[in-house]
Amino acid sequence: MTTVQSQLDESAHDQELFIYISVYLTGFERVELEGTGLVEEYFRTICQETSNETRRYFFDELDSMVLQAQGKEEKMLVLIASNLMPTSSYQGLAKNIIYMWYTGQWAPTVNNPDANLQQVRNISGNAYQQGLMWLAAQTHPPGAKQPGYGSWAHMPLQD
Amino acid sequence: MTFPIEADFSESVFLTNDDCEQTMTPQAQHPYDVVIVGSGIAGAVLAKTLTQAGKTVLMLEAGLEAGMALDPELAYQNYQRYLQTFYSKANKATNGPYPDIKDAESPDVLEIQAKTPYDTGYLVQMGPLPFASDCLRAAGGTTLHWLGNVPRMLPNDFRMKTLYGQGVDWPLSYDDLMPYYAMAENEIGVSGDVDAQVGPDMGRANYGAHYVFPMQKIPQSFQDQVWMKHTQNLSVSLDGIRYEIQCVSMPQGRNSVPNPLYHLGNVEWNEAEKKLVLPVVKSPYQVVASIWSPYTGERCEGNASCVPICPVQAKYNAFKTLKKSDFGKLEIRTQAVASELMIAPDGKEIAGIVYKKYVQGDAPQYHTEVARGKIYVLAASALENAKLLLASNVANSSDQVGRNLMDHLVLLTWGLFPEKVFPYRGPGCTTYIPTFRDGEFRKDFAAWISPLDNWGWSWPTFAPATDVSNALAKNIFGKKLRQTINDLVTRQALLHFECEQTPEPENRMTIDPKYKDQLDNYRPVIHYDASAYMRKSFKAAKQVSDQIFAANKIQDFTEYNPAEPDFVNWEGRGYTFRGAGHIVGTHRMGNDPATSVVKPSQQTWDHPNLYLVGCGNMPTLGTSNPTLTMTALSFMAAENILQQLG
Repeated sequence: MTTVQSQLDESAHDQELFIYISVYLTGFERVELEGTGLVEEYFRTICQETSNETRRYFFDELDSMVLQAQGKEEKMLVLIASNLMPTSSYQGLAKNIIYMWYTGQWAPTVNNPDANLQQVRNISGNAYQQGLMWLAAQTHPPGAKQPGYGSWAHMPLQD
Repeated sequence: MTFPIEADFSESVFLTNDDCEQTMTPQAQHPYDVVIVGSGIAGAVLAKTLTQAGKTVLMLEAGLEAGMALDPELAYQNYQRYLQTFYSKANKATNGPYPDIKDAESPDVLEIQAKTPYDTGYLVQMGPLPFASDCLRAAGGTTLHWLGNVPRMLPNDFRMKTLYGQGVDWPLSYDDLMPYYAMAENEIGVSGDVDAQVGPDMGRANYGAHYVFPMQKIPQSFQDQVWMKHTQNLSVSLDGIRYEIQCVSMPQGRNSVPNPLYHLGNVEWNEAEKKLVLPVVKSPYQVVASIWSPYTGERCEGNASCVPICPVQAKYNAFKTLKKSDFGKLEIRTQAVASELMIAPDGKEIAGIVYKKYVQGDAPQYHTEVARGKIYVLAASALENAKLLLASNVANSSDQVGRNLMDHLVLLTWGLFPEKVFPYRGPGCTTYIPTFRDGEFRKDFAAWISPLDNWGWSWPTFAPATDVSNALAKNIFGKKLRQTINDLVTRQALLHFECEQTPEPENRMTIDPKYKDQLDNYRPVIHYDASAYMRKSFKAAKQVSDQIFAANKIQDFTEYNPAEPDFVNWEGRGYTFRGAGHIVGTHRMGNDPATSVVKPSQQTWDHPNLYLVGCGNMPTLGTSNPTLTMTALSFMAAENILQQLG
C-alpha cells in the first residue's frame, strides 16, 4: 500500500538519481550542478513535463543502470549511450535534461526539430542565468554574472 | 483636418473607435513654447536644451506611464521588470525586455517573414522584401536597446551625389555639423580614442587639433587582439584594386574612465550670441551613472548584453538626458499617442496635435486631447514621424514624406578560428574595420563599416544554444559534450558588413485606411527592396571576408538559406542581409522644397512652426550608426528653435 511517506521517499530517491545521472549526462561535477541552486526546480520541471509512466520507466532504468555499473564510470557511459541517449528512449528525456542544464530551457524541439519553436521556454529567469553552456564556453550568460570592467580584454582563467 | 486656431478641446469621457467624438472645452492658447512628440534621444535633447534655456515644454510619449519613471526608486523597479523579462524570455530579441502594447505597437524583428506581402505584425510588409529593422515605442525610445556604437560620419558622406553620383548631397557639410558632434559626444558620454580614428576620409582633422572624447576608449576584446594579429595592415584585393585593412577601436556610448584631458561642460544656450555652446570647464568629466543611483553603472561591467538591455545602465539611454531637464518647465504626458496634426485656417501654422490618451496599454479605451504650443517638434522615430505627417496630410508638398526609407543592410559572415578567442565577452563591438567606408568604389557599390563582433555566432545561428542541440542530435553527452561546446563556442568568429543603403523613392512607408491599430491610428505600410547597388556590395563584402578569413585561418561556416527573409541573389549567388535597426530617411532635409521635407534648420518647408528631428531627416546614411549624427542634428534643431522663439 502506497503511503504519503513512501511517495516522499520515492520522490527523494528519484531526485537523488536525477542529480546522479545529471553528472554523467552533462559532464559537470555534482558541486557545479548543486551550485546552480536549481536541482529542485529542474526535478519539478521533469515531473511536470513527463507522464508518470514515462518517468517511472526512466527512473527504474536508472536504478538498474546504477546496479549494473557498480560505480564504474566507463560502464555507466556505455549504458547511457545505449539506453538513454536515443530519442526513442523515454521520449528523449535524457536529451531534454541535458538541454535544460545547459540552457535553462525546456525545449520540445530538442527531440523533434519540427516542434513549435514557440513552445521553447525558459524554465525561469534564474535558470537562464545558470545555463551551463556559458560555463562550458568559459564565459557568462549575457546580462548576468558580469565579469567586471575590462576583463574581456584578457584571456579568461583557464580550467 | 483644419481647425480654427482659437478652438481647443479635450475629452472628459472615455471612448472607443466606434463612438469617438470630440468635445470643445476652453483652454489657454499656446500654454507651452514647444510641444515635443517622443521621449527618445532626439526628444530628450530638445526637452533638456529648451527647458534649460527657460522655455516651457510639453512632451507627449506614446509608451506606458510606468516606463517614464524618473524617481530613483520607481525607475529602479521599472527597469528591474525589464531585466526580469529579459531573463525569462527564451528569445533574446531587441525589443524583448520591453512592453509591446496594442495601443502603441512597436515593430519587432521576430515578426519578419520571408514571403511578402503580409500584415501579421505591426508593420504591413508589401515587399518585395521585408524591412528587417525595428525600433522601440516606449519612454526612452530605442536607446533602451541600442548597441551604443557612435562613430561619426565622414566628410565625404555629405557629398555622395557630387563625389560618386549616388543619392543626394546633404544641405549641410561635415564642418557645419562638427561643433554639434562635440555636443552629442558630450551628451551621450562617449568613450573612445580620437587618435585611433584613422581610415579613408578619417583622421585627426575630422575632430580638431586637441579634441578628445569625454572618456577613454573601452578596452578592445581579447578576441579583437587575435583578429588584429593577422588583419591589421592586411592587403586585400577587390576588383583589381588593393586595399590595406585597418582595425580601430570603436567609440561607444557607454561609461569607461573619464579622460582627464576632457574639459567641456554641459551644452548651454548663450543668450547674447543666440547659439548653443559647449563651455570649457576646469572640473573633470562627470560620469552619468544609472538613473536610479549614482553608484550603479559608472563603468561598463561587461554584461555583454548591451542589445537588448544593459542591466546597470552603464550604456547611455535617453533618460540620462531627460533627467537633466528643468522640470519646472517640462510637463510629460505618457500613454499619449499623437494621432494628427491640426492646421490653422491659413494652411501654414500647425494649430495643435491631437493625441489619444489610453487607459491601459492593451485596452481599446481612450480619450482625445489636444496639445498646443508655439512650436511643434516631431521626435517619434523615422517611421512614426512620417506616419503622423501622412495621416495629417501636412509637410508633404514635396511628396517626399515616407520615401527614401533606408537602413544598413547587414551581411554577416561567420567561421571558426583555429585557436580559442573566447567570444561572448564585453560590449558587442569594441573594434571595427573602416577600410571600406569611403573610396571611388562608392560609384559602383555601397560602402560599409565592418564591426568585429564580440558575441560569437549568436546573431546568425542563435548559438550557443543551437550548438548544444546540434551536439545532442549526434547523441554527444557528458564530458565530451562539455568539451565539444568549449571547443566550438570559444572559437566562433563573426564579421559584419553594414552596407550603406542609398535613398530610393520607392523604398517607402505609406498609410492605408485598411491597416489601422486598435486606437484607429495608422500602421506603417512598407514597400522595400535592395537595389543592384546594394547587392553588388554583398558580393564585394563576401570577397573581402574570404580574404580576411583566409589570413586568419578561419574556417568559413557562413550559410545563406534561400528560405530566410531578405535572401537575395546577385550574379548567381545568394546572400541574406539583416536589418541594422538604423531606420533613416523618411522626411529628409534639403535645400530644395520640391525634393525635401525639412530645411537645413530642420524646420519643415511647409509649416514655419513645425520641426522634425530624428533619423528621418538624414538625406543619406553614410556608414555610421546614425544615433550620434541624429543627436548632433537634434542640438542643431534646438538652437534653431531657440532662435525662432527669440
